Amino acid sequence: MIAIEAVSKTFETEKRRRLPALCDISLAVAAGEFVSILGPSGCGKSTLLYIVGGFVAPSAGAVTVNGQRVTGPSPDRGPVFQEFALFPWKTVLGNVMYGLQRQGVARQQALARARELIAMVHLAGYENLYPKELSGGMKQRVAIARTLAYRPSILLMDEPFGALDAHTRTRLQNDLLDIWERDRKTVLFVTHSVEEAVFLSDRVVTMTRAPGRLKQIIAIDLPRPRSRAALLLDRRFQDYVVGIERLMDSADSGAPA
Amino acid sequence: MTRPVSALAAVIAAAGLLAAWELAAWLAGIDGFPPASRALAQIPRILTDGEALLDIAASVQRMAVGFVLGVAAAVPIGLTMGRSRHVAAFFNPLLMMIYPVPKAALMPIIMLWLGVGDASKTLVIFLGVTLPVIYHSYQGSRAVEQKMLWSAAAMGMGGLSRLVRIVLPAALPEILVGCRTGLVLALITMVTSEMIARQAGLGNILFNALDMAQYDTVYAMIVIVGVLGFVLDAAFERLRARLVAWAAPSHAIIAGTT
Repeated sequence: MIAIEAVSKTFETEKRRRLPALCDISLAVAAGEFVSILGPSGCGKSTLLYIVGGFVAPSAGAVTVNGQRVTGPSPDRGPVFQEFALFPWKTVLGNVMYGLQRQGVARQQALARARELIAMVHLAGYENLYPKELSGGMKQRVAIARTLAYRPSILLMDEPFGALDAHTRTRLQNDLLDIWERDRKTVLFVTHSVEEAVFLSDRVVTMTRAPGRLKQIIAIDLPRPRSRAALLLDRRFQDYVVGIERLMDSADSGAPA
Repeated sequence: MTRPVSALAAVIAAAGLLAAWELAAWLAGIDGFPPASRALAQIPRILTDGEALLDIAASVQRMAVGFVLGVAAAVPIGLTMGRSRHVAAFFNPLLMMIYPVPKAALMPIIMLWLGVGDASKTLVIFLGVTLPVIYHSYQGSRAVEQKMLWSAAAMGMGGLSRLVRIVLPAALPEILVGCRTGLVLALITMVTSEMIARQAGLGNILFNALDMAQYDTVYAMIVIVGVLGFVLDAAFERLRARLVAWAAPSHAIIAGTT
């Protein structure tokens, strides 16, 4: 469904220096698959996600989604950012309705859909608050609802829980999996947390230090629906986490990829 | 600071200023510096004089027209500059050249083109308003979070739609800071334009009185201009606070009336 074909990205700085960020990445993601991209900070994993989103153009290679080449953003690929990026002048309800209204959905329908999603992310009763009145975890819930509202078939999540405290983070991970189990959208999820990647994903893609290359792809063969408490006691889960952490360490120490 | 405390402080400051003025004028004892009591006594006379009121109303009207036109022209320019490096590169040197020129100094030239009437004065006010509003709109537009624009793009919004529906509201707190400066500059250019093209208006009363050595009236008019500026600024600040109540408090202006 998503085909990333030999994608490279080189940034040009203001002084005309060329900074390679991504090097020859190829990856295929099947429909309904939950894939995490894991790598040290600065390895270009977010850039890869932005390229799939159509927000950033690749320097070489191409991304196709359902056979169509990506040339720009589309409501079929919904982003969720670490920075939340909510519209601060809109209420919770206004934010979640926004995409639907822009697409010409009738107000009553947009309202009903928004209320349903707000309930799904456990924010019923907070509809009329402004983003500045919300905690980080609540903001990210709104952002997830805002993106789900316009029914993208692919979710592009860029370290969505990276700015949250540990407790909020695990709650949102659980809720995300609950939501995902309902319709199993395709998810591309960028993170630097090994545990998070293993807990959520069908496959974990590891990357090397900048310029990022694919290091290894690990299939996570753990039963779904997953429960965090059960997994933490599961020997296989522990093995995946420890194995991938070792792999990441070898990338950090600068070993050739 | 709570509202009653700051209101009290303002009253004390105003009373202190008047007392100092009164005392200094008595000590100086020169014609050109009448004490506060004599100057203030002129205000009721001016404000009940129909002709003077018409003059003041005409001034305020020119100021309002210049301000509204200035904001209407400046905001689109500033917002576009903030989102396009090419547009910014085109306008920036132009603005840097115009910025240090006192707009009222252009008045004689503008009068050659447009005469001494309303058009010249309104144009000078317009020029005074546009620069700070362009500058703040530009800064506000530049600071709009990239990810917010990407989120909008993913909803299928095109460039113009994002400029109007995302960049404009996101930059609004900063735009209004510029408008507040613009409002004060509109008042200043209004008075100076009437100093140069003396034909009607508030500045006309002020400078005619000066020519005729009616210093009480001169000072009374200065007080009226000051109060007018204070009232306009306070009203604008209330409007601003309502329009951007959603914004994080980091945008609050310290030197406010709240």
